[in-house]
Amino acid sequence: MIRVERLQKSFGAIAALKDVSFDARDGRITALLGPNGAGKSTTLRILATVLAADAGTAAVDGLDVATQPLAVRARIGVLPHAAGLYARLTARENIAYFGALHGLRKATLRARVDDLVERLDMGEFAHRRVDGFSQGQRIRVALARALVHDPRNVILDEPTNGLDVMATRALRAIITELRDEGRCVVLSSHVMQEIGNLCDDVVIIGHGRALFGGSRATLHTTTGEADLEEAFIRIIGGDAS
Amino acid sequence: MNGFLVVLAKECRDNIRDRRTLVSSLSLAVLGPALFAALMGLVLDTTLGEAREPFTLAVSGAVHAPGLMQHLERQNVTLERIEVDDPQGAVAAGAHSLLLVIDADYPERFAAGEINALALYYDSSGMGTTRRNAMLTRQYVSAYSQKLGVLRLQLRGVDPKILTPVVVQEFDTASPAARALTLLATLPYLLVLVIFMGGFYLAIDATAGEREHGSLEPLLSQPVSRVGLVLGKIGAASAFSALSLALFLTSLALSLPLVPLHKVGMSLELGLVDAAVMFALCLPLVVFAAAMLTVVASFARTYKEAQTYLTVVILIPTLPLIVTQVMNLRTEGLLMLVPSLSQASLVAAAIRGEALAWGDVALATLGTLLGAAALTALAVAMYRRERILV
Repeated sequence: MIRVERLQKSFGAIAALKDVSFDARDGRITALLGPNGAGKSTTLRILATVLAADAGTAAVDGLDVATQPLAVRARIGVLPHAAGLYARLTARENIAYFGALHGLRKATLRARVDDLVERLDMGEFAHRRVDGFSQGQRIRVALARALVHDPRNVILDEPTNGLDVMATRALRAIITELRDEGRCVVLSSHVMQEIGNLCDDVVIIGHGRALFGGSRATLHTTTGEADLEEAFIRIIGGDAS
Repeated sequence: MNGFLVVLAKECRDNIRDRRTLVSSLSLAVLGPALFAALMGLVLDTTLGEAREPFTLAVSGAVHAPGLMQHLERQNVTLERIEVDDPQGAVAAGAHSLLLVIDADYPERFAAGEINALALYYDSSGMGTTRRNAMLTRQYVSAYSQKLGVLRLQLRGVDPKILTPVVVQEFDTASPAARALTLLATLPYLLVLVIFMGGFYLAIDATAGEREHGSLEPLLSQPVSRVGLVLGKIGAASAFSALSLALFLTSLALSLPLVPLHKVGMSLELGLVDAAVMFALCLPLVVFAAAMLTVVASFARTYKEAQTYLTVVILIPTLPLIVTQVMNLRTEGLLMLVPSLSQASLVAAAIRGEALAWGDVALATLGTLLGAAALTALAVAMYRRERILV
């Protein structure tokens, strides 16, 4: 459960977020949609506690990201935009490192990593060093790393970036599974087709403002457009004019 | 605390995996003392060799000056009588290292009491003993010349003393052992450098490297305090710095017995206890070095940039050593608070076999640990800022 209220954030003279509010509920996939530079990543980075908002609040399971960052970090699994891995460590070691940082120990940690390796179909390369992995393999390792502590909230920044068709399909299946397990999944994208059938709720962000927030059905009735892309354009375009 | 150990263990494992970098950062520690011992042996050999070791002098036209030849042989010079047309070419080609040329008109001029100019050819660019031998040859010839002059003056009824109104007598009090000791004074430089080199690459990889590879952002969203994170990274750099120091002391203990110090009546041994004491004395500097490398590398965005910064930074700890040596300052009192300088002088004292001055040890440890704490606080502050991600 994630609640964001009137977030503002500037980098120097550039206002990245002017007014962003939305709710992301458990057991639903909430997609932040918006053009490049709209403020999607900045919002997710504030939720991940690596950036601090200038004004407004963000809370995960009722815990404020600014005042209780450590507690928030224990409840979120984050796949950042540039999900760097440690090239000299194996896939398992990369995953286990973050698990250990979450306080998981020996047997529990091993069981967790085994589980993720099987679930994300990484058996073939789990024992290899990450150096030289394909983008699809890297994303799977990074996702496993984000899920190692079984977080209730999952934050994915452009997860399908750089993936081929098969890898995208596999990732979609995993994200759906996470939702069905009752987790709160928040993801961002600028490619409509990829998440068209994936998300339950939509937050449309343009120029640092949340322009729409609600279910897919509400989006279609509000805009009168049956197609997600058309609906998106209508809302974004309304902002521009 | 938990996070601290996890980060430390991961950084150590990560660094060990990078074999090539590991080898290059530890090679100075292992090879340094061996190189040092070899150099010291060489210095001792040449300084000892100065004690009138016979040398070979090639002479062209020796038949013209039998008296001089006799004189040289009495000085224990081995003569090689040859005839050459191109003395310069012969020396340049390396056929002779030292060649004295006596012209055919030598007896004639000698009889007439005229000045006889002899030519001495040698190549001074070499590292060997040529220059010293040339100087000796010059000395012997001029002694012979002076002897003849005195005789000639006496023959003419003149007191030869009028030619030397002033003389200088030299007394060099430096023993070969003392000369060897000046070389020993370079050991502390090496020691400081070795400590900094040990943590060099790990500090870069754990900070600028992590930033460059994009793994810093996910790491920062893990439930570990920034203090734990920074301490883990500095701890890992300290571990490798300490490893480098331990290797250095081991290598030194093994190399020192190979130096022929007994030839100058000295004994220099680094026992297990001495090595352990030196290790303990330097531990605060190990932490200081790790913190300093980590802070500076945190300013850099890329591995390469950090490498550039640190190559300069690694020279800074040797500056106090050079300054005090050049200005001839004694390291005592408050100067003992200066990191690296204090450890260097404590270790130097230990090498000379002096008893530990506990007051100095306390000051050195205090000053260095305070510096390390300040640097660590700076690193934590840097990791608390968002800019570390930009």
